[in-house]
Amino acid sequence: MELSDQEYVERCRDGSPDEFRRLVDRYQKPLFAYLAGRLENRSQAEEAAQESFVRAFQSLKKLRKPESFYSWLLGIAGRVLKEQFRSQARRERDREIAETLLPEAADPAPDYLIEEAIAVLPETHRQVILLRYYEGLSCQEVATRLNMPLGTVTKTLSRAYGLLRQELQARERAERTVNQVQEP
Amino acid sequence: MNCAECRDDLVAYLEGLLDAETSRQCRAHLENCAACRAELAALTALQRRLAERGRVASEASLVQPVMRRVHQAQALSERETIMSRLFRRWGFGLGAVAGAAVIVIGILLVSSPKAQATAAQVMANGAKAVAQLTSIHLRGQLRTAPADNFGYINADNDFVTIELWKQFEPELKWRVEKPGRFAVMDGESTLLYIKKAKLGYRFPMASPAAFDTGWLQRIANLSKTITNELENAIERKWGLSLTEERGADGRMKAVVTVKAKSGLPDNDYLKNSFLNTADTRRVYRFDEQSELLESVQIYLERPAGEVLIFDLNQIDYNQPIDSALWKPELPADVTWHHEPQVLPDNAKYQAMTAEQAARAFFEACGRKDWTEVAKFTPDLTPRLKKYLGGLQLVSLGKPFSSKAQNTNLQCFVPYEIRLHPTDIYIRLSNSNTAKRFVITGQYDSDMKPDEELKWTKEPPVLPNNEVYARMTPVEVVKAFFEASRNLDSEEVAKFIPESEAAKFKKQASDAKAAGMDLRNLIPDTEVGDAFWSKEHSAWLVKVRMSHVKKWNLALRRDNPAGRWQFDGGL
Repeated sequence: MELSDQEYVERCRDGSPDEFRRLVDRYQKPLFAYLAGRLENRSQAEEAAQESFVRAFQSLKKLRKPESFYSWLLGIAGRVLKEQFRSQARRERDREIAETLLPEAADPAPDYLIEEAIAVLPETHRQVILLRYYEGLSCQEVATRLNMPLGTVTKTLSRAYGLLRQELQARERAERTVNQVQEP
Repeated sequence: MNCAECRDDLVAYLEGLLDAETSRQCRAHLENCAACRAELAALTALQRRLAERGRVASEASLVQPVMRRVHQAQALSERETIMSRLFRRWGFGLGAVAGAAVIVIGILLVSSPKAQATAAQVMANGAKAVAQLTSIHLRGQLRTAPADNFGYINADNDFVTIELWKQFEPELKWRVEKPGRFAVMDGESTLLYIKKAKLGYRFPMASPAAFDTGWLQRIANLSKTITNELENAIERKWGLSLTEERGADGRMKAVVTVKAKSGLPDNDYLKNSFLNTADTRRVYRFDEQSELLESVQIYLERPAGEVLIFDLNQIDYNQPIDSALWKPELPADVTWHHEPQVLPDNAKYQAMTAEQAARAFFEACGRKDWTEVAKFTPDLTPRLKKYLGGLQLVSLGKPFSSKAQNTNLQCFVPYEIRLHPTDIYIRLSNSNTAKRFVITGQYDSDMKPDEELKWTKEPPVLPNNEVYARMTPVEVVKAFFEASRNLDSEEVAKFIPESEAAKFKKQASDAKAAGMDLRNLIPDTEVGDAFWSKEHSAWLVKVRMSHVKKWNLALRRDNPAGRWQFDGGL
């Protein structure tokens, strides 16, 4: 049996900081993929992911909705990204680069939107998607891990795909609009 | 099959989970329905994107580096907290008082009983009184196995002394000790030493609480602990109450009781096995005059009633700590723990399920293939090799875990193994008034003394003494093992001293009470010949013993190599 994000967050706040490793274990891959989609360099993505987790840990007390840990984490990662872009720009002593860096570094097919869309899924749906694709488990293994019947896993997956497609369509539309505005 | 049915089954179809007939029907429908084919294409496209994201992320391994940074950040903030409290108390005394007042008002708002508010006041004052701690020494009694880790508790165990020294200023250092092991953090590195196994773990970082010492460390950070306890009690609506009593020193003591809940479900096997997974009642005694905490008792809640499991009865504040404690001397032949390294063929081991890893581990022990065994434990001590070499794996059970653990990282695999047979020699003597052979000692396979059985008084003359007086040494040894296997302590007592027989009887009844069958732990024996040893001037009987052991192998894979590693249970 796995605990929910909320329960792990509460344990960390209750003086069991070691429990934070469960949250790192659960979200390291989607977070890394998310950052890797926006930074060109693997080691930069790894550094940004570490930094995001450490900051999340340090401000865990401020998290108002522990059940939304993952989308909160992505928000932190977004801020870490901005800082990295900025400091990179400073290093290169060129203010203009700062303006262009973000769209340039972004993937032409912005697949980091997937990790954002995953954050919107209900917790069980999110866990099933993460275990199936980011941990590479089979449906049967997911069923064992989450202690649910195989049929429920496929039904949850099916529902999660539906939600993801909706969410991705909306986000991709928004992304296109932003790019059109920036491009003239 | 219609469109609705087809779409219901589409995911199972793509995953290859449909039976042959439904799968055929689904395929047939797809061939004839463009709309469902489009749906299938959209789904496959999404799956491909997700799989690609998973591939991008597959190399991410952040748990270790993040946790290292988390621990460092914590050690730092711990020092900052102490410093800022010091500053606040001396510089802006009002700040600390205001903080306490906020807490008290919080309680008044949450629950109005006056007793709770006063209990909270006592705790808030207690937290303030220890805000300027530079060092602390705690000493108490914990129900645990002397050689187990620091988090393990068992209400059926006897009390064992446990001690903690902690220096906050000028630099954080700590040491926790119980009879079988100690852990030390000297400001630079953290060490755990297990005495019997002569096994050492050393990490080149200053960990604020390693090796399951966290709960004791938290108690030691008294100001924070008391404040946290108070906040938790309010937030989670744990019971909080206050009484007063006169202490042995004649002074009045304020006694605050907190009833804490672990949050684990009642049927979780880990519930109440460790302090951080237990439902407990904590009793804090504060001296009313000095407002200092003087003792803590922790009672474990069990269905049958509560049991005192931890009795912290000595707290020394700001006493100088002997610096030798931070630099313990270790024997020259200590085995050092190594973090498992990524192997050239690491993927093979990473892909193993816990059960496959347990099987591979035991089979390698059977072959005495220590290079292979080392892939599952980097800490191969001579003791472990001697114990496991040549074993036979009988069976493995279904791995299990607890809600308190992450199944992906930590689990138990039930096993049954037959350890390789060893020879022992049993020494007998019949130079006693009853003129019958009794057991007086035991030698190991190298004829080195293993155990002495001290007969403080003569073996008694039994009512049917002649039956026993006629028995040869071999017959006596056989009868002794037979009686042991039958848990017949009365019969066992005819061959060994009274005190030993009483021990055996207690072990049998303790095991029964704990739901274990002692017979599973008694080795199979093959009694050989008896011979007269001139050297020992006694009869010796050779016995070949083969132990069958049934227990649970603990495995974990939260290491940089991501392989299942042996973590206890042998």
